[in-house]
Amino acid sequence: MNELIYRSRNQRISLKFSRAVPVALCALVLALAGLLFASLSLGSYDLSYAQVLHTLLQPQTETTATTIVFELRLPRFIAACLVGALLGLSGAILQTVTRNRLADPSLVGISQGASLAVVAMIVIWPTALLELRPVFAFVGAIVAASVVQWIATGKTSSASLRFILVGVGVSASISACTSAMLTYGQINQAAAALSWLAGSVHHVSWDECMVLLVGLLLLTPALLWSVRPLTGLQFGPELATGFGLGLRKERILVIALAVALAALAVSFTGPLGFIGLLAPQLVQRLLRSGIGAHLMLTALTAACLVAAADLLGRIGFAPLQLPAGLVVAVIGAPVFIGLIFKGARSKSL
Amino acid sequence: MPLFTRPLHALPLIVALLGVAMLSHLGFGAKAISLSTTLQALISFDPGNFDHIIIQHMRLPRMVTALCVGAALSVAGALLQGVTRNPLADPGLLALMSGAAFGVVVGSSHFGIEADIWIPVLAVAGALAAAILVTTIVLFAPMGRSPTVLLLSGAAVAAFLSALVSGINMLNEESFATFRVWLSGAITSDAIHILPYAAPWMIVSLILALISAPQITALSMGQEAATGLGVNVVALSVRLLACTVVLTASAVAMVGPLGFVGLVVPHATRLLVGSDYRWIIPCSALLGGLFLLIVDLVARTVIAPVEVATGVITTLLGAPLFVMLVRKLL
Repeated sequence: MNELIYRSRNQRISLKFSRAVPVALCALVLALAGLLFASLSLGSYDLSYAQVLHTLLQPQTETTATTIVFELRLPRFIAACLVGALLGLSGAILQTVTRNRLADPSLVGISQGASLAVVAMIVIWPTALLELRPVFAFVGAIVAASVVQWIATGKTSSASLRFILVGVGVSASISACTSAMLTYGQINQAAAALSWLAGSVHHVSWDECMVLLVGLLLLTPALLWSVRPLTGLQFGPELATGFGLGLRKERILVIALAVALAALAVSFTGPLGFIGLLAPQLVQRLLRSGIGAHLMLTALTAACLVAAADLLGRIGFAPLQLPAGLVVAVIGAPVFIGLIFKGARSKSL
Repeated sequence: MPLFTRPLHALPLIVALLGVAMLSHLGFGAKAISLSTTLQALISFDPGNFDHIIIQHMRLPRMVTALCVGAALSVAGALLQGVTRNPLADPGLLALMSGAAFGVVVGSSHFGIEADIWIPVLAVAGALAAAILVTTIVLFAPMGRSPTVLLLSGAAVAAFLSALVSGINMLNEESFATFRVWLSGAITSDAIHILPYAAPWMIVSLILALISAPQITALSMGQEAATGLGVNVVALSVRLLACTVVLTASAVAMVGPLGFVGLVVPHATRLLVGSDYRWIIPCSALLGGLFLLIVDLVARTVIAPVEVATGVITTLLGAPLFVMLVRKLL
């Protein structure tokens, strides 16, 4: 028996998952904890693990260690994890719905749409509230996603490839608009927008962390709801209809959820590419599981990846800091090529 | 059906349009200059006249740059579409431009090579590396012949190289300051300094492309047909890819990456003169020059005195065409 089955007493809730899932979850949580300690202790001002532990458990005011841990490193680590989880979930949902392993929010125009909206906001209305940013990003992203979806749907059946290629074209024109916006804007606002566009968690504070956390908590019920339609959708629209699931409305809602997740992440840290592609693939490679477990594992893996990338960018070339987005892109692009190879071999491209 | 059944008949129209565009490029701008003064500045230059200085030192270099770059990129696109038999191929989408930019940025920031004469060489080396990378992926991927695998590999390599370029720029502020404008793709009056060193590369590969034109037409009918007509397909492909790499790299060396020019112009050319590469190559060279002249004129005048980066406009014009082609072909 490789599977664990849980049934509640009145049989209303039953869960079946592979025995490997809890093990993997524990391993990922441990990895995340390890990264937390590494992130808090390493840097231009090195703290020993004992110091970090001491500071975390008994925070004393007015010491250097407390300031560094609580004001600089902890919010940054939490933001990296949250952003990673959001993008990973968005990518996993998109890949399941479009049944295309190459789907990623940054490839199909979602991140670019959100970026354009946020850059426009930074340049035109610099005094706007921080909390409004996700709203703008969501509007931009949903418009971009709708345009791509609208253009890509057509008579022929190879819709998923068209979806990606149309996404590439639409992203290119949206990025051009963003660059144009940067030339129009005043130089200091343009510079702020430019550093945001590189995709980094350099400047996050507790305010941003709170908005990200609240956003994720608000979207959690939607995520729990999405597991059921996703389970049907992963077999394709024809089979899902055969199961007796009328999934047109659900499909749109699930895609909207993926867009919202990506937009929330992009609105604070800029477009981090490839993470939504990388994390679900890694999880799938490691173990096969149902959609629910897949989403959970993906979120944790993506959190680990972004936290590790941020740590690497921070200490790899100290005192200079590379944005996490860059580190992820340098690792992610070769993986993407590997996926093309594999997809081509199994003719599923 | 092409617009002109006899391609020769299209030539006067293209040349006339080019003449009009050249004169308006010289005359219009932040300061409009009358036609007679423009012609005077060209024929009998008076160093004391301010208008003459604007024409000779600022607008003429830009015009020459736009013509050369437009011709090089359009021919590169046409060749690439012929060799890959993929109407969606474009030097930018297939990572050649990011490769060239990568070569120039690495060469100047890490090896301190900044002399004008070496910039085209660096660009060619970088573009060649990118081309080899993409070709290897496509040759070894089992379904590499499908147009989608080609485009996706190109997109991935381009994303990878661009990330490396941004990384270098973040680690090296001096390099960022030098290449910031160039990397967004902009025709400037300064680009003319590179022209003497980029021009030989361009001319040689343009001539090579013109000589191979009949064989490209054969190749565009399919590999078997081309082999049957006595064309050595592998040798031809290698030669044409080399031409594409060199043309793209020398254009990027001058003005940075200008996206989608190599996609838009060859398609427009085919609408005008049909599918014979003996006509497509020279006509897309002329039309490419015309296209970039118009784009540059728009970039300079639309929100004067601020200039929009040329690359932004070419992408805004080209990306919708790409999307349209994807919709039509896939």
